Amino acid sequence: MQFVEKIVKGERAAIAKAITLVESSRENDKKESRKLISELLNKPGKSIRIGFSGPPGVGKSTFIESFGRYLVEKNYKLGILAIDPSSQITGGSILGDKTRMIEISKNPNTFIRSTPSRGSLGGISIGTREASIILDAAGYDFIFIETVGVGQSEIMATNLVDIFSLIVGPGSGDELQGIKKGITEYADIFIVNKNDGDLKSEASKTASDYKSAISYYKKSSEAADKEVLLVSAIEQTGMEKVIETIQNIVLQNKKNKNFDERRAKQFTYWIEEEVREIIQFSIQNKIKEDGSISKFSQKVMDGEIQMFDAIEAITQNLQNK
Amino acid sequence: MKTKNSENYTKWQKSFEQETKIDLNEASSETDEGIKIKPVYTKADIENLSFVDNDSLPGQLPYTRGPRASMYTNRPWTIRQYAGFSTAEESNEFYKKNLKSGQKGLSVAFDLPTHRGYDSDDDLVMGDVGKAGVAIDTVEDMKILFNDIPLNQMSVSMTMNGAVLPVLSSFVVAGEEQNVNKNLLSGTIQNDILKEFMVRNTYIYPPDPSMKIVADIIEFTSKEMPKFNSISISGYHMQEAGADNVLELAYTLADGIEYVRAALSKGLDIDDFAPRLSFFFAIGTDFFMEIAKLRAARTLWYKIMKDFGAKNEKSMILRTHCQTSGVSLTEKDPYNNIIRTSYEALSAILGGTQSLHTNSFDEAIALPTDESARIARNTQLILQNETGVTNTVDPLAGSYFVESLTDELSKKAWEIIEEIESLGGMTKAVKAGVPKLKIEESATKKQAKVDSGTRVVVGVNKFKNPKEPKVDVRVIDNNRVRDDQIKKINDIKASRDQKAVDKSLAKLVIAAKEDSNLLACSIDAIKNRATVGEVSKALEQVYGRHFATSLSVSGVYGKHFEGDEDFMNVAKKVNSFEKENGRRPRVLIVKMGQDGHDRGAKIVATSFADMGFDVDMGPLFQSPKDVAKDAIENDVHAIGVSTLAAGHKTLVPELMKSLKQIDPKSKIVVFVGGVIPEQDYDFLYENNISAIFGPGSNIIESAETVIDLISDKIHKDN
Repeated sequence: MQFVEKIVKGERAAIAKAITLVESSRENDKKESRKLISELLNKPGKSIRIGFSGPPGVGKSTFIESFGRYLVEKNYKLGILAIDPSSQITGGSILGDKTRMIEISKNPNTFIRSTPSRGSLGGISIGTREASIILDAAGYDFIFIETVGVGQSEIMATNLVDIFSLIVGPGSGDELQGIKKGITEYADIFIVNKNDGDLKSEASKTASDYKSAISYYKKSSEAADKEVLLVSAIEQTGMEKVIETIQNIVLQNKKNKNFDERRAKQFTYWIEEEVREIIQFSIQNKIKEDGSISKFSQKVMDGEIQMFDAIEAITQNLQNK
Repeated sequence: MKTKNSENYTKWQKSFEQETKIDLNEASSETDEGIKIKPVYTKADIENLSFVDNDSLPGQLPYTRGPRASMYTNRPWTIRQYAGFSTAEESNEFYKKNLKSGQKGLSVAFDLPTHRGYDSDDDLVMGDVGKAGVAIDTVEDMKILFNDIPLNQMSVSMTMNGAVLPVLSSFVVAGEEQNVNKNLLSGTIQNDILKEFMVRNTYIYPPDPSMKIVADIIEFTSKEMPKFNSISISGYHMQEAGADNVLELAYTLADGIEYVRAALSKGLDIDDFAPRLSFFFAIGTDFFMEIAKLRAARTLWYKIMKDFGAKNEKSMILRTHCQTSGVSLTEKDPYNNIIRTSYEALSAILGGTQSLHTNSFDEAIALPTDESARIARNTQLILQNETGVTNTVDPLAGSYFVESLTDELSKKAWEIIEEIESLGGMTKAVKAGVPKLKIEESATKKQAKVDSGTRVVVGVNKFKNPKEPKVDVRVIDNNRVRDDQIKKINDIKASRDQKAVDKSLAKLVIAAKEDSNLLACSIDAIKNRATVGEVSKALEQVYGRHFATSLSVSGVYGKHFEGDEDFMNVAKKVNSFEKENGRRPRVLIVKMGQDGHDRGAKIVATSFADMGFDVDMGPLFQSPKDVAKDAIENDVHAIGVSTLAAGHKTLVPELMKSLKQIDPKSKIVVFVGGVIPEQDYDFLYENNISAIFGPGSNIIESAETVIDLISDKIHKDN
């Protein structure tokens, strides 16, 4: 298939079209998308996938611009998948990440794609996983996944990446308790940004707060230690430490098989998700055809049957179909 | 209160309600500023005012009635027309012609590359050289610009903020080489960087070093150039970007406070520099509001400076230049602009401005021609010579309405000033992006009012001209100007003493690192024939170049259209588009080149998103190549190019080429919006542009056109 070849060759337009396909909500496209992804899974690249999350205002995009610049200057190829919120009311969105990634967006070694979150909860949009497979096949060394704010379902992002990092600002240590426990638990790296100017001492205080907080976590396995790093995105300092840490964690986790285990778990999760979606879809169709819900509801209203008996009857009915 | 309860008032109220069939309490209208305007004002409205003193006189504190006792009765305001285009030679000819026809002061418009500190030979500025102003690369250009114009007699205003050091230096050296000592130079340098971060975007360095440069210039001029205004604190561009009058007034004065602080931090005494601070406001179409704004500005500045401990009376007096509103001009039925400008000019005069620029009627389309510039100038000459407005100082003083409005505006502005102060001053507020966002919100509201017809714009959304007149415009051959400039740069580089240049640039770098005064060093470098770009780059080594991050408002536009049929119609089209295509229509809105005016782009982006589009925003100052990469990676259906600085003839074809280069089969729809003369429409269509939206286009209609174009293209493919 020519399309796959173009992607593997790294043709920009083909990669972009492929991402559009995997993000599409059209039934036909979904089938095409599955076909494409299964072909691309046979042509895996060597990408490391890194998730970046953090509360609004900590300078996520600015950090990514700064860190990204550091990587492309070292000739790495960098793919970025940024997810922006869609409006709940209008469904539209403003995808403004690139206004904060000025230098790297020009660089020929980057591919930057913004995606509206659409209805999906938690900062991971439909198709993000597939998009990262496309970029992997296209030969990108690093794939960044930047998610919207911090929320419970952000944890879903950890199901897509090899390393999950949380970007925080100076002073956030006080709110450590407030930050969703799950996220701190899942994060591999804590990046304290804005280690510059007046905020320097505050930033290092925050870093030590995080250090002491993570020392309470029980180490689950031989997985690499969590790290706390100080950076300044505007002054581009601390970047070499970030890449060093990432490479160390990858190396260590690969050695102790944690890396592969994680990816295997993610596959299981993916399969489960797909199965669930397919079943859900077919059940929804069945419910539509069956019509027993409205039939039985009426009976409940009329007092002919108890509610829980009705529910049981409906499920029985659907399972027999 | 006495008057209000009087028998007469009750009688009047009864008659009013009988005539209008409206309860008086509901008969007020509300301005953009959120001020209620009543159908009638009485003496009761000017009792107990907070800021205005009803007994004050012109030239007396709090200066509400004007900075001088005699005002125009002694000498009318200065007619100061802002102009500049193409090369220094051509601008110089234009200036000389204008001075012969009754203009009194000069006001120089520089092109965008000069503003952003790039020489004309820089690849980044291909499309912008000589377009929206004159190109100045070296002191030689500056000398040509003032050829046969004696700088010891002519007051010169220069709109320059980003590259303020090399440009002011060139002016000083040009004077010197005309044998005019710098202490005799008179005029104004805009030097107002804060509003650049807020709205105009022609900055170079980050906020902190930029503020240092401002302070350096105030310090230097206060010692060496006593007749020169070190800064023109400008609200103009805020109103142009969509700010209402309260925001314009408050942010301008809050900027002023910040500049005073910066200068004080240099160890200057307030009375050493404050008398040379000047202001610049926009005058829009809200007639009485604009008059009240100028009166309120003087009143508040007096209070601010007194609080700073100024002792010299001159330190407390706000002197201002005004310009009629560019954003009020329409492309449709353009002769209406002459009328709009006339009323705006009258507002400025009744408000007591010290100098005035009146826009040419064709400026919504292109740079003024000789003929349109003449009409603009005559607008002021007629006011000065035929109407009698110069015979009485502050003729509206004592008007119940105007005095009460002045006070109300002062109160509202003061609240916002206090809000900025509570954020730690304007530099901090600007870094946090607060004012920018507030102004964008105000701009989006205004646009929604026009698009929904709540606000009438004659010839645009009502009383349309069935036969639009054709207007001749000035055409700049951008490539020729650029070639001329490059040749001049090369000649100078070949003949100058390179060692001296290098040495003075190195000194400048050291001065930046050591925090000593940069203007003195910059003058040396310019004297040695360093270019504007070289001086700017030297400082860039120390300070870096600033890239603004940009926040966007959402929901503001859509709120005005709840239940609106056309709006819902587009939203519906968007939804069925999504069903059919598996995603929403996706549009990339961009600006290219050095033009930083992003009000239009921002409004289009937020209103399209409110109609349900997915909208990608590109950064400012992109090259066509960057835009193409962005568009293709995000697989957008369409690109909307916002252009206001005449760069479209170079940059748009370049974009089309870049798109094809990355993806020969690209099906992306490209449309253009902004200031584009009709003469260029065919050229753009030949370059496969699908639609062109001029100023005053209805955004809902535009959105519908765009989604239809996208759908057509998709269907054609299948």
